[in-house]
Amino acid sequence: MSSQVPSDLLYAKSHEWARVENGIATVGITDHAQHELTDIVFVELPAKGRQVKSGEACAVVESVKTASDIYSPVSGEVIETNPAVIQDPSLVNSDPYATGWFFKVRLSSAEAPGDLLTPQAYAAQIGA
Amino acid sequence: MAKVIAEMLVESVKLELPDVKTVRLQWPEGYDPGEFKTGQFITVYWPHKPKYKRAYSLSSSGLDRGAYEVTVKRDGKMGTSIVDWVDAGDKLFVIPPTGRFLPVFDPPGKHLICVAGGSGVTPFRGFVREATRRNLDTRITVLYSVRTTQDIIFFDEFTALEKENPRFKFHVTCTRLAPEHPWTGRRGRLSPEWIKSFIDDPAQTVFYACGTNEMVESVEHLVLHDLHLTKEQMKTEKWG
Repeated sequence: MSSQVPSDLLYAKSHEWARVENGIATVGITDHAQHELTDIVFVELPAKGRQVKSGEACAVVESVKTASDIYSPVSGEVIETNPAVIQDPSLVNSDPYATGWFFKVRLSSAEAPGDLLTPQAYAAQIGA
Repeated sequence: MAKVIAEMLVESVKLELPDVKTVRLQWPEGYDPGEFKTGQFITVYWPHKPKYKRAYSLSSSGLDRGAYEVTVKRDGKMGTSIVDWVDAGDKLFVIPPTGRFLPVFDPPGKHLICVAGGSGVTPFRGFVREATRRNLDTRITVLYSVRTTQDIIFFDEFTALEKENPRFKFHVTCTRLAPEHPWTGRRGRLSPEWIKSFIDDPAQTVFYACGTNEMVESVEHLVLHDLHLTKEQMKTEKWG
């Protein structure tokens, strides 16, 4: 089954997505990642106020098969986390780009992060 | 008959390595798991956390009745709690075995080449146990990648089974040993050349790969694209 790669997002090689609007990035994991992980049963998110750097492990997801670190695709301050995925981790499987988001980061730089992949480049990486 | 979720008593535990524990889950009285096979996995959860489930390959075989054995690495909340805390007398809920990572014992005469990384070796203990106990003519070769000799799970049991069963071979490769370490076995990562060196009759060979997605996909690529074998000759179990 082919994974969805929405055209309005940026992507990290490690399978996180970022939606950047007005200096704030909303972060989650991709459809491809949730497929690979299978049924997600636990999510741990960074504390609000934490400073994260691009590429830094700052969250954890566990599926029925494995536990994986999640890396922030951007640098900045965590300003909001999604309580819904803590309560119902299966949202990450069913709706990875909307209600299954993980956290929001106020970017430390006003410019959009330049080292993330375009949708086309990420699709090529995963063979979608 | 519908498969039944059952609360099971931890009959015994065995610390295989400092971060790996085998847990033996006793079937309750009257428990009927239905038909289950070597190589399948069970899903477990704590009585107080029914939504938090983890799946583990059986490290026992389909011939082992009365209890399931799973061998768990300290990984995530469940792996950590099992390795650090679970003891005989505790209870876990168990969803009965399922899965298609099954050894091809029928028809006879196959050669199963089983490639494992880390705790991905656990289902292969069941494969070898069953083949040995049934005195099958199936050949099994386990190719096992670990970081160091301290990370080899089931070393003693596989070594003993190798003596008992002349059709079983166990080969380890260590990826991160210090040069001065006295290990005389293979060093370095799993390579296509090493795996290919164990194939004598491709048509009779079935490959199994259990471990990280990256490792499993590299074996899959070797078997399907380089060796041009069929999908039926490649069976995978990814950790995610």
